[in-house]
Amino acid sequence: MQEPLIAFRQVSYRYPRTRHYALKRLEFGIRRGEFVAILGENGAGKSTLCQMLNGVIPHTRGGRMRGRVLVDGLDTRQGEVAQLAQKVGIVLDDPETQLFTTSVLNEVAFGPENLGIEPDEILRRARWALDVVRLGGYEDHPPSALSGGQKQRLAIAAALAMMPDILVLDEATSQLDPVGTVEVLSIVQKLNHNQAMTIIMATDKGEQVARFCDRVLVLHRGELLAEGTPRQVFADQDLLARITIRSPQVSQLAAYLQRHGRPLPEFPITLDEARRGIEQIVGDQPET
Amino acid sequence: MSPLIQYVPGDSFFHRLDPRAKIVFMLLMTTIVFVIQRIWIAAAVWLSLLALWRVARLPFSILKQMSKALLGITVFLFVVQALFYPGQTSLIYPIIPETVPIIGGVGRITLEGILFAVLIALRLFAMVLILPLVSLTTPVQLLALGLVRLGLPYSLTYAMTTAINLIPVLQDEANVIVDAQRLRAMQVFEKGRFWEKLRAYPPLVTPLVIGAMRRAQLIAVAMDSRAFGASKNRTYIQDIRMRLSDWVFMGATVLYAALVVAAGWLIP
Repeated sequence: MQEPLIAFRQVSYRYPRTRHYALKRLEFGIRRGEFVAILGENGAGKSTLCQMLNGVIPHTRGGRMRGRVLVDGLDTRQGEVAQLAQKVGIVLDDPETQLFTTSVLNEVAFGPENLGIEPDEILRRARWALDVVRLGGYEDHPPSALSGGQKQRLAIAAALAMMPDILVLDEATSQLDPVGTVEVLSIVQKLNHNQAMTIIMATDKGEQVARFCDRVLVLHRGELLAEGTPRQVFADQDLLARITIRSPQVSQLAAYLQRHGRPLPEFPITLDEARRGIEQIVGDQPET
Repeated sequence: MSPLIQYVPGDSFFHRLDPRAKIVFMLLMTTIVFVIQRIWIAAAVWLSLLALWRVARLPFSILKQMSKALLGITVFLFVVQALFYPGQTSLIYPIIPETVPIIGGVGRITLEGILFAVLIALRLFAMVLILPLVSLTTPVQLLALGLVRLGLPYSLTYAMTTAINLIPVLQDEANVIVDAQRLRAMQVFEKGRFWEKLRAYPPLVTPLVIGAMRRAQLIAVAMDSRAFGASKNRTYIQDIRMRLSDWVFMGATVLYAALVVAAGWLIP
């Protein structure tokens, strides 16, 4: 069996000066090329988990960590953040705190410059990354002049320029409008499909998970409550009742129909699936 | 960004200079402004710096803004120096007779005190012209690169440039907090008395400081995540190169500084 690209081995963690564990005995693996959602409400431990992937926890944040996090075979406690940054690119929720230089080009070049890459290669990477996120031509613009969606796309480009194997989005669309959200997630989906990049997306939005992800890890108060495909997770009404995450509206409708004795042929998680299911039921109805 | 440090795009001679030449200029000019002891030399230096502002085609509106801010300090300086400078030439005789112990002699205004206040004011006005000549004509990234090439550690220069970049963000946050207070009918900053205004500051400063600390922590995470400090041989996509004009400017600055110092010694 293929060795997972990311492996959490009985990982627990608590922040400095707290008694409460933010993560408790997490055990799971993520394979290369997967698009995985970390689903959970506020305070579930999603950001903590994300920051463990590139070693910011425990290297920068401190705190007490038990267990092991392996990224491509490298123990994050042994590897340095800078070393892990070449494998794991991370995009945080607030674009304002991720953009700290004076031009779009400088922002994208910041990571590769830190790695000591030759300027010509940096420029090649920067152009590629900006093209991927459709910000080509904005090189000389100050990041502060960009819209929210553009800023978040720039943050993705800045992570991509490091050529990571894994891209982590920590609530990266939480401050974007619906159009900006779809823009960003479509780009990420393309990276997953075309470049086989492993994507990990922390979110509390069921709709996004249903539309984009292959697999879901449900986190609740620092514990891994469930894992499976989006369909498996959203069809589990008992599980959803225990957490405050709302499943996609079509899944809620399907659950309602199920409770009232009219189940759809396949439990839908997207609008298209729901439409197909309803058409099937309507088609089965005898003509009146 | 604060207009006093925000880069003003342009193509003047000063804009085109290598950041290192400008940093050397800044250090030398600051030093000579500190050592000037004669009013006419201080006035000459001040006028030279004003001329350089013209050469750099910097907006004089910024200068006006700075002068306004300095006016209060200048008035204070005049009052203190005039009253307490130990001069001999009395213009106004003491309010309290010299025979009174401890506080005797207070209130005497001397010519030397006034002249010393003029000198300090000229120094002050000259001093505030120097830094903007560099910061307004050099993108902060190039300024940092210049400092690195002069031998300062990258982490230090980056901390400096990040702090500069953060100033406008903090200004915006302060405005948001003040607006939020106004929305809850707080009018102290517009209509309050001095003491009321003073009491209104802690509720403004506390969230600002907490917000700044949180932001600093998140920026540190974002920087670490992009391999900050990973390689000792950090590269730069922009590079700087000293050209003939930069060397000439640096030479002229050194010569000017030498002349100013010599003039102070030689001419009575």
